Amino acid sequence: MTNRKFQYSFNDLDVKISDVESLLGYNETSEREMIQSLIEEAIQEAAGYCSIRAEYRIFKNVILDDRNKAIFINDVKFDVQKIIFNQMKKSESMAVYVSTAGAGIGERSREIMMGGDPLKGYILDIIGSLTVDAASDLMQSDLAASLGQSGIKITNRFSPGHCGWSVADQHKLFMLMPDNFCGISLTGSALMEPIKSTSGFIGIGEHVKYNNYICSYCDMKECAYRELKDRNQ
Amino acid sequence: MNEILGKIALCIEFGKINKVSPYPPNMKDQDGADELTRQALDAGVKPDEILENALVPAMAKVGEKFSRKEIYVPQMLMAAKAMNSAMVHLKPFFQSGETKRKGKFIVGTVAGDLHDIGKNLVAMMIEGGGWEVIDLGVDVGTDKFLKALDANPGAVIGLSALLTTTMENMKQTVTAIKEKHKDSKILVGGAPVTMEYCQKIGADFYSPDPQGAVNYLKALVS
Repeated sequence: MTNRKFQYSFNDLDVKISDVESLLGYNETSEREMIQSLIEEAIQEAAGYCSIRAEYRIFKNVILDDRNKAIFINDVKFDVQKIIFNQMKKSESMAVYVSTAGAGIGERSREIMMGGDPLKGYILDIIGSLTVDAASDLMQSDLAASLGQSGIKITNRFSPGHCGWSVADQHKLFMLMPDNFCGISLTGSALMEPIKSTSGFIGIGEHVKYNNYICSYCDMKECAYRELKDRNQ
Repeated sequence: MNEILGKIALCIEFGKINKVSPYPPNMKDQDGADELTRQALDAGVKPDEILENALVPAMAKVGEKFSRKEIYVPQMLMAAKAMNSAMVHLKPFFQSGETKRKGKFIVGTVAGDLHDIGKNLVAMMIEGGGWEVIDLGVDVGTDKFLKALDANPGAVIGLSALLTTTMENMKQTVTAIKEKHKDSKILVGGAPVTMEYCQKIGADFYSPDPQGAVNYLKALVS
């Protein structure tokens, strides 16, 4: 089993003002002067509250059950459902990953929100989410680069909660990891703490494919992340 | 409507908090909801007139614009902040009993769930609708809801959940509340919640946006 750990500084990540604007609902034609200065200020503040880590483990003991659209890793069954299964079905091994922006950014967001500045708190919350995504992107790039030398490819990232995959499977995903993996723990309701964390699978194999536009496979047509990706296409 | 009440309403609708607030740019250097509310009270306008004829209609407009997707969360939050700056001046009158609110609304994110932005938005809009909001926070177990309801009989309850896993905890809380306080009204909301789910678990109302919740409460007391 291969595993790699990463620690990033906020400046390693490319959290853009325009991405925060998009998740806030703004577009090119919106009046954005005021919000841009608030976002800029919040991005600067966020840097001091993030403790960004990511980690992946590669599992070779993987069985893909086409009939039930399930993936078995080390004999643990994941009911990933049709959309994700189809993206993963040519995988020969699987990277299980987690990444986190740390507890500080979520706590600061809530503190500001409760302190009477809900807008700034909300902007910090969004920056926390984008930070986790950006850290996951860097971790995934490292995985792609390390495997690419031997001609092995990877799929997109998929997490419990995506495309019909039950969030409850997060418990099984964490069973594959040592306790406190990347400093993340799981609540009884499958919520990760720190809250600005993400986890999931990346398929690995000679014949798997990375799709630049994965949103077209998803059922959620009005998702803010889809709007963001559409804008960046 | 009294001219100053119109001005307060406008400040709240467009998120003009106070004089130093640079937003919105076309109201720069003008008094905001904070100063105007103080001036209205000093001029003898009754606090309940300010609530009913400025805050409530302004927040209703904000909620309607949000429902129609004419504004987004940031503008709604700016409006809520402006409303809060006016509310600071009115709160002493609520506390003394001189001004009555429409009722009490107990709100919380259900057990196991730590998400609170949607719940906070609903709480702000309902407060702006003239209700006293008792916010129990996040990860709120059934017992805490029951105790809050025991302490505030007749209050309307709002339950929020963002995850499919925690949404299941709504059912347990709704069942327990209805067993103990069968006439209680319960609103549910959150990303995975639907009207069908609301009916299935025995809750009274579901709204996909905050204004729907405000309108439901308004109908309850009208």
